[in-house]
Amino acid sequence: MTVSTDSMVQTSPAPPLADVSPRRRWTNWLFVLPAILFQFFWGWYPMVVAIFLSLTNAPIRGQVTFRGFENYLRLSADPLVPMAFRVTLLYGFLSIALTFFIPILVAILLMEMPPKTMRIMMILWYLPLSGIASTLFWQYLYNEQFGIFQWIATAVLGLPRQAFLSSERWVLFWLIVPGILMYGPGLYYIAGLQSIPKSYYEAAEIEGAGFWRKIWTISLPRLRPIISMTLLFSIIGTLQEFTWIDLMTRGGPNGASRTVVMYMFTLLDNGRYGDATALAVMLFALIMFLVLIYRATFKSDLDV
Amino acid sequence: MSLFPAVGRKDFRLRVSWFALQAFLWFGVFMHLVPFYIMMVTSITPADEAMSMPPKLWPSHPTLAAWNLVFRISDVAKSVLSQPLSRYFLNSLIMTFGTMFLSIPVTSLAAYASSKLIKGRVAKPLFIFFVGTLMLPGIVSLIPSFLLTRNFPFPLPVAPNIPGTDIPFPTLRIWNTYWAVILPAGFSAGNFLLFKGYFDSIPDSIINAARVDGGSEFNIFRRIILPMSIPVYAVVAYFEFGGAWESYLWPLVVIQDSKIAPLTLAIRRISDAFVATGTTNPQSALGAFAQMADLIAQGLSWNGLMVLGLLQALPVFIFFIIAREYLLKGVKIQGLK
Repeated sequence: MTVSTDSMVQTSPAPPLADVSPRRRWTNWLFVLPAILFQFFWGWYPMVVAIFLSLTNAPIRGQVTFRGFENYLRLSADPLVPMAFRVTLLYGFLSIALTFFIPILVAILLMEMPPKTMRIMMILWYLPLSGIASTLFWQYLYNEQFGIFQWIATAVLGLPRQAFLSSERWVLFWLIVPGILMYGPGLYYIAGLQSIPKSYYEAAEIEGAGFWRKIWTISLPRLRPIISMTLLFSIIGTLQEFTWIDLMTRGGPNGASRTVVMYMFTLLDNGRYGDATALAVMLFALIMFLVLIYRATFKSDLDV
Repeated sequence: MSLFPAVGRKDFRLRVSWFALQAFLWFGVFMHLVPFYIMMVTSITPADEAMSMPPKLWPSHPTLAAWNLVFRISDVAKSVLSQPLSRYFLNSLIMTFGTMFLSIPVTSLAAYASSKLIKGRVAKPLFIFFVGTLMLPGIVSLIPSFLLTRNFPFPLPVAPNIPGTDIPFPTLRIWNTYWAVILPAGFSAGNFLLFKGYFDSIPDSIINAARVDGGSEFNIFRRIILPMSIPVYAVVAYFEFGGAWESYLWPLVVIQDSKIAPLTLAIRRISDAFVATGTTNPQSALGAFAQMADLIAQGLSWNGLMVLGLLQALPVFIFFIIAREYLLKGVKIQGLK
């Protein structure tokens, strides 16, 4: 989201004045010093250390010894690891394919509403229900004995009883359904769309462009930089999903929704720090590989 | 109103599609209100009715029993939660406000400095140092960070010995304290970007004018920039509050003592008893089942879980209502005022 300074007058660049450029004083660094320390010790330092830690045995007690790729070899022999990676990739793919594009479309359509309606809709849409609370809500809906979904399936649609979250085959799909049902406009896109001049659409209309044509040739191209950014963060984010799935299914049934991060948490819980770190580094490598492919594909859009 | 043609709005086909568009959008709004309604109604439903089919729009005998039970949860369900609910709530508040009061000043001062004060050759590397972690999957640092909370500054399970002796290096242990949640969140790369984007849009001339008047850089920030920047602070405070209030994986890793556990972990404990799908071995499934039977015998079923959910949702909801104007203004961009 862009935070605008709409209350301010945008002046043309001021004429250069004598000696008012930012004074280069060491005191300027006091502004950034705390942030540098925090970002170093809790940002970069553990990230870099992870690679070294994954090459050690990292026992709960006793001295740490270098073990080379032993952890990685042990993990590659563990059948739960490829399973977790499969679940993670499938979940990430399904989640992005089924839910990523809806907020873009809804934001574009929302722009058609008169300002007052739009305002009411936005307030109602963004009334926050905390993520943790919503997991309780969806668990209730998905309950096999008395949930609303079961009622819809059996009483309304006349289907046989559904397993929902306890179906090994469909659990990932059902985990994504709430994201589809709760569609809404993406905040970032609204900001981007509002900056498109009206005249573009008027010109397109004179040229005879219809509804979808305007979306395709004006709205979407103008949103492209924002979309490529949010898509990148979605890829990085969904592949590291933990909270939602952990609260909904605990990784079940039989590990059918156990993502890499969840398995990593299990290893950590069992005190296998070296293995858990090695697994994290593997996931890191996978995500970075995908990000590099992505950046090579959308090279022109990214400025960060 | 740019997609629909400006003329010929009375055309039948156009009217139908306009209606369909409105219906689609209002349905989305409606879907977002459904959880609030169902949760509230379920929370005043008797325990057995909350677990029956078909679902009801309104309970036959509304009751506040679940609300009462949840506030006495440590009495009725000692096997599940050992502390009274207010304790978890308080813990969450301490962690959330602690994070906000540390992270917002630290992050905004850094953003201001890299936007307006630090120029030249160091500016770019410094910027990348601050936001680079945003582009990397943060999960990789979970375990080293966890070990750091145990033996700061060594990201190891056991601190190494001082060379030549048998005495281990002195370390700082913040694991299993409030600090373990607050300190690692001291700087936020995402909020840094929001702050910097805002500060960048403040014209330099304003700051230069103050410099001519002889203000120190910190006073300029405090007296001139800060009052201008309330909107961005409101937006960041809202994000920070929501994020810290809902933080889940990190407290799960660093908080063990239930006396200082946040509400999210309490909810995990309770939902453990109700969600048996994830339990992979039959033994723990049986254990969960016994706990669930125990809770239901005490009159606490899904109505109580909905009470918990509502309580968990309440602070973020209130924050949104208070900061509503700023949050919506935050997305208002030139051209549509």
